[in-house]
Amino acid sequence: MRSDHRVPLVRRRIFSPALFSVTFEAPSLAGAFAPGQFVMLELPGRVRPYLRRAYSIADADPARGEVELLLRRVGPGTAGLEELPEGSVAKLLGPLGNGFSFESLAEGQRVAVVAGGIGAAPFPALLKALSRARIAADFFLGGRNAEDLSLAARFAGIVPGQTILATDDGSVGEKGFITEAFRRLAAPARYARLFACGPMPMFAALARVAAQLNLPSQFSTEAAMGCGFGACLGCVIPGVEKPFLISCTEGPILPPEKIAWDRL
Amino acid sequence: MTGRRGEKQKGRGGEGETEGAHAQRMEVQLGPLRLKNPILTASGTFGYGLEFTDFVDLSRLGGICTKGLSLLPHAGNVPPRICETPAGMLNAIGLQNIGVEAFLREKLPALRGLGATVIANVWGDLEEDYVAVVRALEEAEGLAAIELNISCPNVEKGGMLFGNSPRATASLVARVRAATERPLIVKLSPNAPDVVLSARAAREAGADVLSLVNTFVGMAIDPETALPRLSFGTGGLSGPAIKPLAVRMVFQVARALPGVPIMGIGGISDLPDVLEFLVAGATAVQVGTANFKEPGVSGRLVSELDAYCKERGVAAVDLVGRAHRGGALPLDAGAEG
Repeated sequence: MRSDHRVPLVRRRIFSPALFSVTFEAPSLAGAFAPGQFVMLELPGRVRPYLRRAYSIADADPARGEVELLLRRVGPGTAGLEELPEGSVAKLLGPLGNGFSFESLAEGQRVAVVAGGIGAAPFPALLKALSRARIAADFFLGGRNAEDLSLAARFAGIVPGQTILATDDGSVGEKGFITEAFRRLAAPARYARLFACGPMPMFAALARVAAQLNLPSQFSTEAAMGCGFGACLGCVIPGVEKPFLISCTEGPILPPEKIAWDRL
Repeated sequence: MTGRRGEKQKGRGGEGETEGAHAQRMEVQLGPLRLKNPILTASGTFGYGLEFTDFVDLSRLGGICTKGLSLLPHAGNVPPRICETPAGMLNAIGLQNIGVEAFLREKLPALRGLGATVIANVWGDLEEDYVAVVRALEEAEGLAAIELNISCPNVEKGGMLFGNSPRATASLVARVRAATERPLIVKLSPNAPDVVLSARAAREAGADVLSLVNTFVGMAIDPETALPRLSFGTGGLSGPAIKPLAVRMVFQVARALPGVPIMGIGGISDLPDVLEFLVAGATAVQVGTANFKEPGVSGRLVSELDAYCKERGVAAVDLVGRAHRGGALPLDAGAEG
């Protein structure tokens, strides 16, 4: 059940000046979420930010009762997490949203997992779950530069398949967009499913490739959320079958064919 | 406005902690509307209530005001719809809702099952639209009251037009009054030129209760793109940032229209905020934006207000309007005074 967990910070892992992860002792959350679900985080006592912030659950260790979030410092919310002393308490409301679906995937199949920059956030837990289900996964991680790709360290040893890296400036991996690398490898019927998370232009490009290949896909969408549980209706995304999809409750994992890309 | 506690005056505060003692400490009467306590949730910040059942026992609340209901489903504005601001947020959701029929079919029975006291918030483009929604609700079982939204700043027409002119307010309220037997609450706009004139117009046209305030029209602009941060351009400001403005308006209306039941709204997040609105003259309060940040806040405030009253040996209603009994306050001088 969703609830508001008051949890202490256990550790922080720094990947680059702007990219880091925070791990909380949250036993009741650690064993009770699906990859792709998220939490709304608040640092009690802070005036800024006023609203909570949504973060994908990156990974959890139910045995140790720990939950990890992977993030990039962009504003007052993430900056607060960067400065939070170990042992300090944060409030995590969750688990929220629908999570990735493994439905109709079978042992021995292969899927593609494509991340743009901090879009990698929900994938450690997903890749581990795929491994446990004996489903192979190729992991595509793209970014602007070597700093963005510092996140690759978080995925060492947990990818049940190939890891493909690409940077806009060519400093790490292939030079160019990760969507291009994916397009090259994604022969018809090679993958049983595409899981993706990243910026909107990446999603739009992937949606086209997935449509051409008739590849069932699940995109972890992001929209500014006021509440995270369907009350404020602030995080809507234009939809195909209806005017708007509520990102926090109908998503954040959405099939691209339900999103009205031309109205984004 | 005080002294409307009805019959159950004796035995309050103290000895045994019976149901009755709790009820007498917390019950409030707003005109024809009796509520089990003065803590409600504000329209637009509490969905249809069912979104919150993991966090609040809805039956513990004084009431819940639904998302604004229109005759037909309404899609709302294109995103971005919300934007954080210092101590609050701007929103231009645009009154997205499932429409009154779906509400009656899909939401109200579940709310009734959970023991919630439900207040249907209603809006429309034209007077006829409001009347049609109220008529559709009239036969429904388990609705405690109607709240008219005459003050939404985030739609092209309707809403705000009614709220910004006392004459339009009076005309609309009179027509809705004629269409319903239920207790009628009118939610006032803080964007009207004079909130007291709006209040008087709504009251004289038949409003049983006034709720105030809705959001303040505001704006945020991205200095890099020079574009508004909301697709609608402007939005409604809510949250702790507006609390002093809302308290002032509640105080002003309570002073100008003594005896008119008021629900106070604006930036309520903690017990001192509730107490402040009560002493300013509100008989009940609606918790709004804080529901997004702390979905259990309304239940917490019921417990905290009850504990406060118990400790002080008072009933919630004893607090109502205390600021008006404490001596002369130079309110009429206004901000410029």
